[in-house]
Amino acid sequence: MSLQNKTIHRYRLFFPKDTLREASSRTGIQITRVFRLFNGKPMKVEELEAFEKAINDKIAENPNFSRLNYVLEEASSLLTNDELGKLADYMERRVTNKKYARTYIRPLFQDVSIA
Amino acid sequence: MRGLSSLERVILECIGLQSLTYEEVQTQAGLQENVCFNILQALIIRGILKTDNNRYKVSENISPLMMDEINGHEARKAESLEMMEAVLEHKFEKVFRFQKVAMDSRDEKIFIAMLSNLESFLKDAHKKAEAQVPLKNRKVIFWGMGELQTLMTQVMSGR
Repeated sequence: MSLQNKTIHRYRLFFPKDTLREASSRTGIQITRVFRLFNGKPMKVEELEAFEKAINDKIAENPNFSRLNYVLEEASSLLTNDELGKLADYMERRVTNKKYARTYIRPLFQDVSIA
Repeated sequence: MRGLSSLERVILECIGLQSLTYEEVQTQAGLQENVCFNILQALIIRGILKTDNNRYKVSENISPLMMDEINGHEARKAESLEMMEAVLEHKFEKVFRFQKVAMDSRDEKIFIAMLSNLESFLKDAHKKAEAQVPLKNRKVIFWGMGELQTLMTQVMSGR
């Protein structure tokens, strides 16, 4: 997946219900341009930064996210493969259960291409 | 995700060997409508369930590999942990005791005998009420025992 697709995919994970208008106002990118970007038009650097900023602002609302990132980095250097597997299983289970509470299911089983 | 989540297991246990409509599954499982629907769809996509005339039933063609994944030791362990965690986080009417108890070997034997009595009591109680009590109203009960030193070693080694 290209960096652009990854960013849009992450954006969709953080803001699954955003309309084009909301995405536009969140990123400061024109609505027609947002539509094109979601449909695969190449992004400019500043547009990529705008999406990343929206994601980072959302992440900043959860201070424990940076803690989690830090712990994950430490864990990946200290824990064995089996232990990491257990952690991954645990997190995956929590994520799956959370996804079940959502109204539609598609993202559980396949990588949704935004384009 | 490997294995089943405890929510998925509840749906599977509801259906069991029967063939149930969506409403029947939802009433038995007591899950919210969208959650129940999403889980059913997920289990169909994984090939664990199938639909037949708007009724859900467990697929007969589950591969041995999938069977092992569903009922494997690790998967069952993760499922139990999920439920135990839910009991621990339960805010109302919580019944939970965790104690480090000093026991001589005689009392340990008595305790094990009591556990065995408890187990047969629960077995009888379940048999008696199984037909009347829907899955959603059943009680989750667990117990266990281990020697602290062994457990600490295990905690340290991460196994």
